Amino acid sequence: MLQLFKTFKVAFQAINKNRTRSLLTVLGIIIGVGAVIMTISAGEGATKQIQDQISGLGTNLLMIYTKTEHRGGAHVRMGKPIDKRDLEILQKNSVWLTKISPLVVDAIQAIGPKGYKSTAIYGVSHEYFEIMSRELYLGEVFKEDDVKAGKKICVIGETIREKLFLESDPIGRQIRINKIPFTVIGLLKEEGQGTMGQDQDDILIAPYTTVQNRLKGTQSGYEMIMASAISENHIADAKIEATELIRESHRILDGDENDFDITTQIELQQITGNITGILTILLGSIASISLLVGGIGIMNIMLVSVTERTREIGTRLAIGARESDILTQFLIEAVVLSLVGGVLGVLVGIVGNHIIYKLTNFFIPTAMYSILIGFGFSAIVGIAFGYFPARKAAKLNPIDALRYE
Amino acid sequence: MNVKKVIETKKLSRVFKNGEIEVRALTAIDLEILEGEFVAIMGASGSGKSTLLNILGCLDKASSGDYYLDGVHVNKLNKNQLADIRNGKIGFIFQSYNLLSRTTALDNVGLPLVYDRTGRFKNPTEIAIKALKQVGLGDRMYHKTNQLSGGQQQRVAIARALVNDPALILSDEATGNLDSKSSIDVADLFVQLNNKGKTIVMITHEPEIAQFSKRIIYLRDGKILTDEIVKNRSTKESALQDLEISA
Repeated sequence: MLQLFKTFKVAFQAINKNRTRSLLTVLGIIIGVGAVIMTISAGEGATKQIQDQISGLGTNLLMIYTKTEHRGGAHVRMGKPIDKRDLEILQKNSVWLTKISPLVVDAIQAIGPKGYKSTAIYGVSHEYFEIMSRELYLGEVFKEDDVKAGKKICVIGETIREKLFLESDPIGRQIRINKIPFTVIGLLKEEGQGTMGQDQDDILIAPYTTVQNRLKGTQSGYEMIMASAISENHIADAKIEATELIRESHRILDGDENDFDITTQIELQQITGNITGILTILLGSIASISLLVGGIGIMNIMLVSVTERTREIGTRLAIGARESDILTQFLIEAVVLSLVGGVLGVLVGIVGNHIIYKLTNFFIPTAMYSILIGFGFSAIVGIAFGYFPARKAAKLNPIDALRYE
Repeated sequence: MNVKKVIETKKLSRVFKNGEIEVRALTAIDLEILEGEFVAIMGASGSGKSTLLNILGCLDKASSGDYYLDGVHVNKLNKNQLADIRNGKIGFIFQSYNLLSRTTALDNVGLPLVYDRTGRFKNPTEIAIKALKQVGLGDRMYHKTNQLSGGQQQRVAIARALVNDPALILSDEATGNLDSKSSIDVADLFVQLNNKGKTIVMITHEPEIAQFSKRIIYLRDGKILTDEIVKNRSTKESALQDLEISA
């Protein structure tokens, strides 16, 4: 034990003697550990942000849509579209679903007093706003009667308001959607960028009846039906129930496959969780390559150091150092170098995350396990890449080493 | 009188094998050196004196024959035991000092104590200071080696060889890199240490340095050619006088 302590002292003296070189060697490890921590944290941060957005998507959301298949690069609908009949069956019979809304989408051009914009219009029922937890900033949403009557009214997002009205209040004013006049009755609260970078405020929402009759000119079907389960615990029940009901509605025989799909919010979270998890691992492994390079740097410097200090090693052996003393001395030097690099790298990672937060507002919580990985790796790198030079030093023949020029 | 044998070799031989070629560096050396002796080993280069010193210093092992150092049968020892023997019983002095660079004289002198496993030195720093004072460098303890002259560096090395209280001091051309004046100082230091009872074996090719010792052994072709007691030993004063005459 005492011997080990003395060896530690010797190793520290040696590192201190070559301060500049030690610092440059350590730099590789600092960058490596810092990069590992920052990339893993960034991955974690992105995952958390995406998960938050998905849970902000709606309340216990289920999406029911016609099954599609890739055929020659295009999505091709399989089987019957989701339509009015399905909607009515769900509304009439469902126990686990509280709010149900169809979704009809059309590409349109909207013209306002100050400008125009090409965008998509969402045709939905009055329950859509609750399903998607979208709140209003100004005005009001449309009512069940408005949907039944197919009124030409709409709720717009902030991006649309800015394009069509510039700074003025849009409530009660008219815009033209594909040349048909609509009255703006509500302005949505701003939500900013979505998970995949889309603008969630670039949106026009109108009663689906109006969109079908006035804009699409067809009642053939919906893009999907969106619905809320009565509680988070009953999303799975709601999915089973909806599956039964739609199968019935589509007259699918027992044993035949569904011609539709139901995706729930939880499944969505799982899928994106998997994707971002893979992304994090990928980024982390790229970053750990720099750690590996840092380790090779340590090995290189240690080998140079062993050659340079051959006479010193010879002297130490001559005055009674055992091989194991020399081995430990050089191993400790390498490990101390990499651990110092590890500590500084952790600091660099934490500070780096903070700087990114200040600059981009993209908050990255420094993941605790990334610190452990970074630090642990640096220790392993020190031992692994320090061992070879240390062994080389310990195996020197004292007679030759003493005469080494 | 029963004086302890510090060194005893019996038919000591060393053969180097370099592929097919065998080189006999030492052949059947029988040597006895008693406690308190001061021996100079001389000989032309290739005579085997360095090989002998390496074996006596437990840095190398004999090919055949026996070597007893301070009563220990060295042939039977493994690497670690040899290291411990070097640490405990031998003090080395080299031609090129072999001090740690950019390290203080005190830390250099204390180095052998770092590797001591017996725990017999309770106060390593005090012992190192004492050794430095003994070689007259009490005022240079915290100087780094690069701030010292060649003669001073060699004295630091001598202090390092003394610090572990060895049974034997081995010097390999200790004066080889020094000017005449410093060489005489170092030789005189050896005499003083020997007067205090230290057993010293030194290799040198300078006859005037060998003349300080009590006994001179000549090697030739790996064999002892002559082994004689020095009759007219030099002293510091006589050597300095000779130096002036020749100048």
